[in-house]
Amino acid sequence: MRALLTHEVGSLAKPGWRVRAYQEVAATEADVDEARRWGRRLDVPGHEELVELLQRGPVPRERRDEIRRWSSLYAVRLLESAGLDVVYDGEQQRSEMYDWAVSHTEGFERRGSVRSFDNKYYSKAAVVGPVSLRRPFHDDEFAYVRSVAKTDLKVPITGAYTIADWSFDEWYDRTTDLSRPLWERRADRRRARRDLVLGVARQVIRPNLESLIGLGARWIQIDEPGASTEPDELDLVCESFNASVEGLQATFSTHLCFSDYHLFFPAIEKMNGCRQFCVGFANYDSRELGTHAEQRPGYAVIAKFRDLPYRPILGVGVLDIHSDFIEPPELVRDRVLYAVDVFDDPARIHVTPDCGLRTRSWEVAYQKLRNMVAGVEMARRAIGV
Amino acid sequence: MDRAFAQDLSDLVELQRRARLDYYWDGLLRWQDLFRPLVDANPSLQAGGLARWFDNNAFYRTPQLVGRLEPSDGLPLPGQELPRPWVATLPSPYLFSRAIETDGDPNQLMEEVTELLLAPAARSAAAAGAAVVHLQEPWIGFHGIEPEDWPSFEAALRTLANGLEARLVLHVAYGDAAPYLDRLRRLPVDAIGVDLVETDYRSLGGEWTLGLVAGCVDARRSLVESVDETAELLRQVAEVARPPALFAVPNSELAFLPAPIAARKVTVVAEAAGRLREEVA
Repeated sequence: MRALLTHEVGSLAKPGWRVRAYQEVAATEADVDEARRWGRRLDVPGHEELVELLQRGPVPRERRDEIRRWSSLYAVRLLESAGLDVVYDGEQQRSEMYDWAVSHTEGFERRGSVRSFDNKYYSKAAVVGPVSLRRPFHDDEFAYVRSVAKTDLKVPITGAYTIADWSFDEWYDRTTDLSRPLWERRADRRRARRDLVLGVARQVIRPNLESLIGLGARWIQIDEPGASTEPDELDLVCESFNASVEGLQATFSTHLCFSDYHLFFPAIEKMNGCRQFCVGFANYDSRELGTHAEQRPGYAVIAKFRDLPYRPILGVGVLDIHSDFIEPPELVRDRVLYAVDVFDDPARIHVTPDCGLRTRSWEVAYQKLRNMVAGVEMARRAIGV
Repeated sequence: MDRAFAQDLSDLVELQRRARLDYYWDGLLRWQDLFRPLVDANPSLQAGGLARWFDNNAFYRTPQLVGRLEPSDGLPLPGQELPRPWVATLPSPYLFSRAIETDGDPNQLMEEVTELLLAPAARSAAAAGAAVVHLQEPWIGFHGIEPEDWPSFEAALRTLANGLEARLVLHVAYGDAAPYLDRLRRLPVDAIGVDLVETDYRSLGGEWTLGLVAGCVDARRSLVESVDETAELLRQVAEVARPPALFAVPNSELAFLPAPIAARKVTVVAEAAGRLREEVA
């Protein structure tokens, strides 16, 4: 892989016209204008057809798939136009990273929405029976994205531990009697948790991976934003990752975010099926320019990733995805140069946003990504790669 | 947005009224996290990056201290629009001081946070009719507390309790309170809350002189406990601890459950407590 390779992490916001189509209401004038404007700006082939479709009123249910694909195409073009080396489609064809997975998996039932942060909520499901894959649920999306993308692809999929952690368990651990001895309840919880997580890894994630690889996927990112939720379960995170990928022929990476990353060590020393860790750091960093440790407090932990025995690549998060602040290229450059200095090997550094950019507008996401690419170019020139 | 919040609060009050709870609470519906309104009201604090809320798929914005801590410009009054008697929920001084990003001495910061933020907020709440000030303390449950921190923590609670015209409750959640109960039971508060999902009731010890707030249903699981088993748990707690007052509550905040499930848990708590009360009567 190219030194200082740039890619995105996963999600982009859904355009208003895409959201409206699924709400079965007509696109607003602003939505139509957005479709036209971004279509021209990103040079999306045939975008006038989408504009016409949107102008006709609510999109009929039978044409929703077209809307999903348009949305996917726009996102691919946005990421390519920003100059990224590796792209996907901003997860435009999925409802959401968790909901999409559980909606296509046997054994889950929706329970309602719960708060994630600020006033953002997500829809949470419960495991109500043995989990199994209904049918691979990223194949259609991958086939489409591959047919339209001009650059290399990395497929993000939600990992087993995160799916399990973000779900209620009403099947593997069904007891509610709090008068039982604590040691007994804890032992039951550990056993149930392991059964659930490894069940998802083996019965849901692995067959999805096999199917994607069969279709030609070469790089698959297994997202585990929930990985550090229970610090005493990090061995289980690693075990589930390895169980998902062991023996499969592709490049596998993972994405971690918004955690105390120190917690991951030494547990992830066993995660030797992982070729790259894509990790958010900018959220914790200062906006001051500079390549010294005191100017880069958000990146203090990266030496631990450097020292992992299987020498993975680190995808360094350089864009704060929870802020509209547009990181100047110089700030990206300095964050990258700091990481290169710590690793002493630019081939082991990739550059990414902290996480998916779905909480930002497309304008903000686009500017951030363009500046990220510009900053990486500055860093490449500075170190001569 | 205001109408939506008002409707949610109205529904929450109605739920509590139907369940015949003894105290109303507002669910902190307008609070983005347990610190934010306090942070926003203080010129020397700002909301920083997201950090995980203990072992939950939920995040709060890390309070960041800019310069020296100053008094607040105006304090949020959680729950003042509720029917009386109502409970005001605030972060515990220990939790708050550990959550703030600072290079300074956290115990010194705890004293300042208590004096400048929490004590005025608690007094304002009491003046507005709060009968109970409920301090959430998941830090000790989850991370523990260093032995040398107890004196500062006790001093902070004393500052909070001083002249407060409301009952003061410290609720330890997200962990086993047993290793700390000896000290917790000597704190200058009116009652100690215990998370009975993570704490074995057998470890509570007997002859409590403080009130005991029993976290008797799991606010992080969707399976709803039965009234029978919850009442039995409370019965066991009462027999073991023999506290002068026993309160029944969920083991932690209910924000991690979809509203209909949370409502069922509230009802279970109320019915189980009601059953026990009938037995005692």
